[in-house]
Amino acid sequence: MIAVRGWIIILGSLVVALVAPHFLPPGFSDWLTRLSTLILVAASWNMMANAGLISLGHSGFWGLGAYSAALLANAFHIPFWLSIVPAMLLGAFFGACLAYITGRLRGLFFAIATLATSEALRVVALMVPKLTGGAEGVFVFDQIRPDRITMTSFSLCLAVATVATSYFLSRSRYQYALRAMRDSESAVQMLGVNPARFRIGVTALSGAIASCAGVITAWFTGYIDPGSAFDLKITISAQIAPLFGGLYTVTGPVVGSIAILALSELTRLYFNYSGGVGLLVYGCILVFGVLMMPSGLVGLWKRRRKPVVTDAAVPARAK
Amino acid sequence: MNLSRTSVMVALSVFAAVISPAPSRAEDTIKIGAPLSLSGKFVSYGAAAKRGVEMAVDIYGGKVGNKKIEILFRDTQSDPQVAVNSFTQLLSEEKVNFLIGPIATPMAMAGLPAWRRTRALWVVPGATTPLLEEEAGKEPMLFHTFPYGYYYHLALARSLREKLGPGKTVAIIYSDDAYGREHLPYAQKYFTQEGFKIVAEELVRAGATDLNPVLAKIRRVKPDLLLGLVQTTDGIQLTKQVYVQRLNIPYLVGTAYPQLKQWQDASGEAQEGWVGVTTYIPGLKAKADPKYPKLFMDSDVWKAEFTKRYNREPEFIDVGAYVSTCMLLIAIENAGAVDDKEKVAEELKKLDVHTMIGRGHFEPSLGGTLNQAFADVVVHQRVKGADAILYPKEFETADKFEQATYAK
Amino acid sequence: MASLIFQIVVDSLLLGGVYTLMAVGLSLAFGVTRIINFAHGDIVMYGAYAAFFAFVSLNIDPLLSLLFVAILGAIGGYLLFKLTLDRILDAPGINQVLLTFGLGLVLQNVAVILWTGDERSTTPSYAFDSWFLSDDIVVAKGRLIAFGLAVAFVVLLLAWLRWSELGRATRAVSQNRAAASLMGINVRAMYALSFGLSSSFGTATGAIMSFLLPITPFMGFPILVKAFAIIILGGLDSIVGTVIGAFLLATAETTIAYVVPQGIGWAEGVAFFLLVIVLIVRPTGILGTVGRDA
Repeated sequence: MIAVRGWIIILGSLVVALVAPHFLPPGFSDWLTRLSTLILVAASWNMMANAGLISLGHSGFWGLGAYSAALLANAFHIPFWLSIVPAMLLGAFFGACLAYITGRLRGLFFAIATLATSEALRVVALMVPKLTGGAEGVFVFDQIRPDRITMTSFSLCLAVATVATSYFLSRSRYQYALRAMRDSESAVQMLGVNPARFRIGVTALSGAIASCAGVITAWFTGYIDPGSAFDLKITISAQIAPLFGGLYTVTGPVVGSIAILALSELTRLYFNYSGGVGLLVYGCILVFGVLMMPSGLVGLWKRRRKPVVTDAAVPARAK
Repeated sequence: MNLSRTSVMVALSVFAAVISPAPSRAEDTIKIGAPLSLSGKFVSYGAAAKRGVEMAVDIYGGKVGNKKIEILFRDTQSDPQVAVNSFTQLLSEEKVNFLIGPIATPMAMAGLPAWRRTRALWVVPGATTPLLEEEAGKEPMLFHTFPYGYYYHLALARSLREKLGPGKTVAIIYSDDAYGREHLPYAQKYFTQEGFKIVAEELVRAGATDLNPVLAKIRRVKPDLLLGLVQTTDGIQLTKQVYVQRLNIPYLVGTAYPQLKQWQDASGEAQEGWVGVTTYIPGLKAKADPKYPKLFMDSDVWKAEFTKRYNREPEFIDVGAYVSTCMLLIAIENAGAVDDKEKVAEELKKLDVHTMIGRGHFEPSLGGTLNQAFADVVVHQRVKGADAILYPKEFETADKFEQATYAK
Repeated sequence: MASLIFQIVVDSLLLGGVYTLMAVGLSLAFGVTRIINFAHGDIVMYGAYAAFFAFVSLNIDPLLSLLFVAILGAIGGYLLFKLTLDRILDAPGINQVLLTFGLGLVLQNVAVILWTGDERSTTPSYAFDSWFLSDDIVVAKGRLIAFGLAVAFVVLLLAWLRWSELGRATRAVSQNRAAASLMGINVRAMYALSFGLSSSFGTATGAIMSFLLPITPFMGFPILVKAFAIIILGGLDSIVGTVIGAFLLATAETTIAYVVPQGIGWAEGVAFFLLVIVLIVRPTGILGTVGRDA
């Protein structure tokens, strides 16, 4: 039953994603594209967090996706929808390698290792200008860039697909494995799952999805440079969104993405007459958000509806 | 999933309501979009440009003909995604016909594809690395005002060759950011063209804590000149370390940073002898424009006016944004105060004014930009805490370059 | 060749001193509270601004104002902890990351609004002085002073941790929170104390950086990332490990910068590569004891 309802919602969302951009003001349509990229990285980050893997390297996946799409498009003129495929494969491969190499690392150590690899990727992008264009960046071949409406529909569909993936993941038998991974890997083995292989699988999936976000951005801005493609800000928003929305939930990253992007956009539009005020307000809201609602917007909503706090709202690692 | 749908819907609809385009304003205003980096890493560029634009509108009187000028500032947050969004909002929702900004090259680059959708009249008072030129220089609606980086190197190489004589050797330090990488080929080209021998080319990481390894390599080749192609923050670090490490290179040459007050304050005694190149320095004595003396004043008068308003000395971006905005406003007025980009573009091309940063007149640039307003640059040197001007001839206040000093 | 090696050694040592200063505060706070303070770089930045304004308007030397700046930093850090982090100590660790990151954003943008993005620097005479060690090896006085202060800070901190009552309590909390609590140590108070101490190291570092690096509102983040790498390299909960990490990183970067063409551009990437290698070979860092689930 639930699965059927899930399918209906997914199909409905896809239809909305395809139709709505035709009727929206262009700025809002652009905003939805940005939102989709944020949902992609946020959901992908949340997938890894679900398995107890804290990533500080999502800008690495993002940059990898953006660069592979842009360079392939320029070299072979492959259209934007096709460029997703190699980028995702590369992201998945990179994620798998990362998980394999860092096999013994946990928690914060894993996090720092991911941060280190993404910084190293940025340095490579800067230092191999013959391939990447170096610090001057690269333009995506302009003649084959999709128009705005296609762009928005396409990225919304990808966002829906991503949320659907995490939804089905949370309905599958893997959810127990995921939750168990957060606590102890030996418990996972009892569920008949090989933890090492599972780690690699989750990281690869997460990497593939995050590099999709990079691909969208490359086509959306039409220009990328190492500073923006491997910006640590990406990693940070990838974790702020699920945290703000609600960690370890399906809807958390979506709600969080909408909330923080809306916040940043509103502060940008209304406080843009003086440098720094927008980001300051954004920072303040973040601080108060964490202090006042530690389990995110979703947790806040659930607590309002049910007096008993559900499992999803209280992360297993809380001591 | 229930809660998701409700909350997502609520959040989206509230947001849509808030940012959906405001009802179109009265016909008696002319809107100019100004996408600028008002926060994030390029904030100092955006803030300076905003001062220049605002001061221009204010001195112009806030009106062209009988129409009010409305500047729509949009913060790009130094983020390309936000830059695209800002351009789209300005061009497709506010439907502005005129744009001014941004200053930082990556922001201009990110805005470019969005701009191509409507091709509004776009005045760019920055983006001096020729990347924009290569991509969009041939666009007839692009009006680039500030001189591109290569004008700097042309003037530097010429004036140094003229005053130091032939056969000198030069070592180049360039940063791995867009600034260093873009400037390097032009420095190579014009310095070689003027007969200099490049004996070292060393890369430094932008924001590096220690430049010693690079300086040690340069010390060994004993060049006559050191040319530092870096941005201000790295320029400060370079200046201090060159001085402290006693490189004893006779002539030290920078690009834009030696003119900046913040570089001068931060470099202290190490600034002595650095050569810089710019379009504007406060000591420059440019005369008021005969036709528009109220806008393009004597440079001293303008500087006093700026200092009175903002309680600081103007720098090249302040003045660049100011004169660029003034030129745009004059063109709009000359076109009959119409919100029509074609007519204004025609008028803009006709303008020929004498400003605080030299002659402003749109013509093709050396590198192929169709409309380039300014080409005059000034070579100056820090001598005893003040600027000596060594190029061009008509502004000269010194006739030879002094040697740099080092830690004792 | 000998001269090159000598030069690398000198430069690595001096850079290592700077890196130690950047990391030691972060290491102390993490060792005790197990919270990675993403605002640490911004605390350093405020120390630098405080020293700058003391220098420019009151004409006080940064090395003199360092004391006051450190005291202000301690008070500020203590208050910051009491007002914010103290309230979410029991939340998942990742919320604390988010909180300190938000605090960093606030601190940074307050600085942008107050002081603009312009670069600044203090200019005491020793910042422009140096000695020749040989024909082509020069030691900058400013960096030597930083090195000396780094040594002094570390010695003081170690002595305090070893011999003072409070210091021992701090170590106890760092080693075993529950046991320390059973011994009658007020864990939360120790957290606040170590956070304040960490901030005071941070602002003092800022005062020293004020004549070594350009001061901007954005100077904090690169410092944070470096400090991050260093404490992971050395082992999260070990001050000595942090010092080793700092010198290791400095040596690796300097050597690459000297030996490899365009090396200074690659140095950072290689440093991070080194970090990954160390983590894989020895996941707790060189001297660390923190368990796998830190």
